[in-house]
Amino acid sequence: MARSVADLTGPGEPPELPPGSGGVVEGRTPLQLAWARMRRDRVSMACLGFIVLLSLAAIFAPLITALIGHGPTTQYPNTGLSLSGVPVGPSRTFLLGTDNLGRDVLSRLVYGARVSLEVGIGATVLALALGLLIGLFAGYYGGRIDTLLARFMDILLSFPVLLLALALVARFGPSLRLVLLVIAFFSFPLIGRLVRGQVISLREREFVEAARSLGAGDLRIMFLEIAPNLVALAVIYATLLIPVNIVTEATLSFLGLSVQPPTASWGNMISDAQQGDLYTVAWWFLIFPCIALFLTTLAFNLLGDGLRDALDPRHGRSQVV
Amino acid sequence: MLRFALRRTLYLAIILVVITLVTYAIFFAGNAGSLAARFAGRSAGPQAIRDAEIRLGLNHGFWYQYWHYLLGLLHGRFGLDFQNQASVGSEIGRAFPVTASLVLGAMVLWLAIGLPIGIMSAVRPGTLRDRAGTIFALAFLSLPIFVVGVLFLLVLYYYLTRAGLHWFPAGGYVGLSRPEQWVVHLILPWISLALVQAAVYTRLIRGSLLEVLGEDYIRTARAKGLSRRAVIYKHGVRAALTPVVTQLGIDVGTLLAGAVVTEKVFGLPGLGQLVLNAIYNGNLPVVAAVVVLAASFIVVMNTLVDVVYAALDPRVRLS
Repeated sequence: MARSVADLTGPGEPPELPPGSGGVVEGRTPLQLAWARMRRDRVSMACLGFIVLLSLAAIFAPLITALIGHGPTTQYPNTGLSLSGVPVGPSRTFLLGTDNLGRDVLSRLVYGARVSLEVGIGATVLALALGLLIGLFAGYYGGRIDTLLARFMDILLSFPVLLLALALVARFGPSLRLVLLVIAFFSFPLIGRLVRGQVISLREREFVEAARSLGAGDLRIMFLEIAPNLVALAVIYATLLIPVNIVTEATLSFLGLSVQPPTASWGNMISDAQQGDLYTVAWWFLIFPCIALFLTTLAFNLLGDGLRDALDPRHGRSQVV
Repeated sequence: MLRFALRRTLYLAIILVVITLVTYAIFFAGNAGSLAARFAGRSAGPQAIRDAEIRLGLNHGFWYQYWHYLLGLLHGRFGLDFQNQASVGSEIGRAFPVTASLVLGAMVLWLAIGLPIGIMSAVRPGTLRDRAGTIFALAFLSLPIFVVGVLFLLVLYYYLTRAGLHWFPAGGYVGLSRPEQWVVHLILPWISLALVQAAVYTRLIRGSLLEVLGEDYIRTARAKGLSRRAVIYKHGVRAALTPVVTQLGIDVGTLLAGAVVTEKVFGLPGLGQLVLNAIYNGNLPVVAAVVVLAASFIVVMNTLVDVVYAALDPRVRLS
């Protein structure tokens, strides 16, 4: 997919110069190269576009619901429910129909995006920071510190995560912040282990030795010399961790252990729709949150794959027999 | 071998102590009063709450309770259910066959779906077949299990039943004493769980096989005249299975202690439902027991994985 630029700059073929540059070879940073590769990947760009739109919708949710004219938690018993109390389907007044309490499904979807993105991105950023920090320390110092930290991460990864998350949420009461912290805490070892592995090989490289011989201290070497080499890896894995965390939040929501009603989240909308087999009379109220969840996680997964192709062109190519 | 077994046992013991301690701390630290109030009933006075505290053994200190719990575990006792004073061990005994039927059946399916697709993808990367495999994996990787389950119920149960085809039930479990009903009730849960899991395995084996096929020894095997097929299956797939086995150990270990979401969607009375209800009700002994079980399954599966490694990779046997 992303071979073109990498191949152009490979040995043997001189890079094609842009017309009008007068033969001056312009240096391009690795980031610029990666961006150029990304730009050609239409799937990734479409996913990026979708994610940007969704984020804008989430940020401006109050504005959007004001435009729709229906609040996310307001019940419309007269217009939103039929005479026998059944939710009404998609129509001009309710674009995506209403739910069991006569609330606008579209408004709730927009607000649900807030929850999903907040937890998905928030927990991932936290996990990334923690994973980088612990991975750096473990990999760089090695020895006993490494054994201790690596063991700790291994043990965390062998915990029955969902059970403990459920127990924690049940004990301290469901709240978005707790869910975010729990998800971050149980997902950081995934990044921590990767970072540690990279650091172990990076710390033996010449540039580290050079920095040390110039008198750089441990902290400087770790954060200014080694860490920049981990950016590509961190970005790729963070992007792939976001959908995992969005799904975890949605699962907790579905089980009733994340944000509480009447606040909308995609998970609790799906759970509402399954309750009492309501989906049999009002499919829209089940299908739309499912689609939203699917498209969002799919977009992040595809973007993550595209980023990997763009940032690490060697990955996934092998001489096959 | 003896050292290996000893190390494993020690590891299991440490994990169990840590994990029960964490579970106990989550539920207990500063919580005994409210737990007792919950089980004393809504209209209970202070005396009734006090009685409940004594009845449930919550009047002792944290460490005392925890120590007695560990001692009980050593004798194979999981304690009594807070709610109905039944033995937690027998409750687990009833729920476990349900979960085991679900998970082991689904495992066979997800391996049968995931591995062939992943291998086909890796053998001819970049072709239409590879593209199709990748799309399959990405789609189900992006679908949470409860979405798949609920959509199956909508289409395969509700729409089919409305069309007069009573092929699938809405949920529930029938024991193995009626094998055909057992299968009928488990088909949708099996497929839902298997599809979501198969996506993970497709990606895993594809990536791992691509990497292995790039190794020098593969070229050597090809150069000495082995057929393509022999090289891919005897040398390639075998080596590529290592990460698959690791993942399988983790997945089966975790799921055996309760496929919480699948069981909830399809109303299967397995360990997942048991622990979910216990969590909603603050029924600590049940939660603790299932968590202990989960941790032991994970460690046991890890041990099995190490044994399988030795069978797969000759280098492991040497060291």
